Amino acid sequence: MGRGSLKTAGLASFALVITLGVALGTSRPVQAQSETQYSSMAPIEEYLMPDRNAEIALARSAAPESISRDAEVWVLGKHGYETAVKGKNGFACIVERSWMAPFDDPEFLNPDQRLPLCLNPPAARSHLPLTFKTTELAFAGLSKTQMFDSIKSAFDKKELPLPEPGSMCYMMSRQQYFGRKYGNADPHLMFWFPQKDRMDWGADFPGSPVDVHQYSPQPITEFDISVSKWSDGTAAPTN
Amino acid sequence: MNRDTNTIMLRSIALIVLLSAVWQARAQDAKELYPGMAPLDQYLMADRNAEIAMARSAAPQAISQDADVVVLGRHGYETAAKGKNGFVCLVERGWMGPFDGDNAANFWNPKIRGPVCYNPPAARSILPLTYKRTEMILAGQSKVQIIDGIKTFMKLELPRLEPGCMSYMMSKDQYLNDGNHHNWIAHLMFYTPLMDGSLWGADLSNSPVMLNPQFSGAPEPIDVFMVPAGKWSDGTADPVR
Repeated sequence: MGRGSLKTAGLASFALVITLGVALGTSRPVQAQSETQYSSMAPIEEYLMPDRNAEIALARSAAPESISRDAEVWVLGKHGYETAVKGKNGFACIVERSWMAPFDDPEFLNPDQRLPLCLNPPAARSHLPLTFKTTELAFAGLSKTQMFDSIKSAFDKKELPLPEPGSMCYMMSRQQYFGRKYGNADPHLMFWFPQKDRMDWGADFPGSPVDVHQYSPQPITEFDISVSKWSDGTAAPTN
Repeated sequence: MNRDTNTIMLRSIALIVLLSAVWQARAQDAKELYPGMAPLDQYLMADRNAEIAMARSAAPQAISQDADVVVLGRHGYETAAKGKNGFVCLVERGWMGPFDGDNAANFWNPKIRGPVCYNPPAARSILPLTYKRTEMILAGQSKVQIIDGIKTFMKLELPRLEPGCMSYMMSKDQYLNDGNHHNWIAHLMFYTPLMDGSLWGADLSNSPVMLNPQFSGAPEPIDVFMVPAGKWSDGTADPVR
């Protein structure tokens, strides 16, 4: 999940947390509370969206309508993801949940997190299996360690595919919600590569618009590039 | 309400027709302005240090300060600074644009300055094309000869296109056209084998991804996608227009 593109949002939110903490006279940083809040899975219902059409709309909002209107759409049901709409352009839109966050992310298992993505055809083929597998493990009630080991094992045994060439996705929904720390963060694109390619995009250097992430245990390199508009064409705030 | 809608629609169509005519006229003007190669000196930068600085300005300093830099001399590109991070920065000229069509209007425009910093895979896979085109241009070859030469080069010498080829074009000083916005927009470029641009959602309404007509199989079998960077390499904002 695109976290690195959230650097500036994170700093701004951190400042806000400090400000609120001071204003409320609390001695314990609010951030520290959130880091320990989601140690285990909440009841599954808390991760579901009761309105199926709202989830379809949220999933589609990850990309401009010109892309998402012809995309396949997946929604989360009590037994995992289900196809809600058949597409015709090869893109797949889906609202991922917080078990797709990095295992060490404080928002991991936060039932409020909603991460709409629209994956291009190569990414739909190579990323969705990871989403479905992780969701299956979360629904089975596995611990974080068990989930980590299972994902690692699946990649080691090649049961999960590496990113196909040209794999990328849109995360441009104004309604995306990463949690209290980042809010809806910023619209961005994500690009995936096998980690073994040791890709160098000049990411994370001062002034670079590119961020990079290597989420253990996935042997995948992810690059995020912030863009200036939400999927509806409105301008995103610049920090 | 219907009358208002019709009026707006008619005005929009009129505006599109007008803009289209202006754009075509400009492209035609540029074609007439630059029908062939100008004297070589007009493509060269007299101040070598200025060319090095312009080349480095393609990417944030944190990247370009450790990059190789090559500058254009009378016989092709020459190494001006050795780097250590695998990136290569240079200032490309108009002949790196498409050979034909409306986007070819600036092919011989001696004012074009396209500072670019290639990441290591692109320095290995894409930069040889810049060197090859430039070598043939400086040898005085025609477009037809150059296209044939590139086809041969691709068969015999061009390294395979590595995954993850990309480059930075974030120089505020870039000069990419004679229009009102010479420096167009700060952007990143991504190089892929030829594919349907819709696979990346390119050029669709509100999509930040654009397909650059630079190569597109004519003759290089490479697609170039562009994404606005939102800021120039010096950190100042470049709001998307």
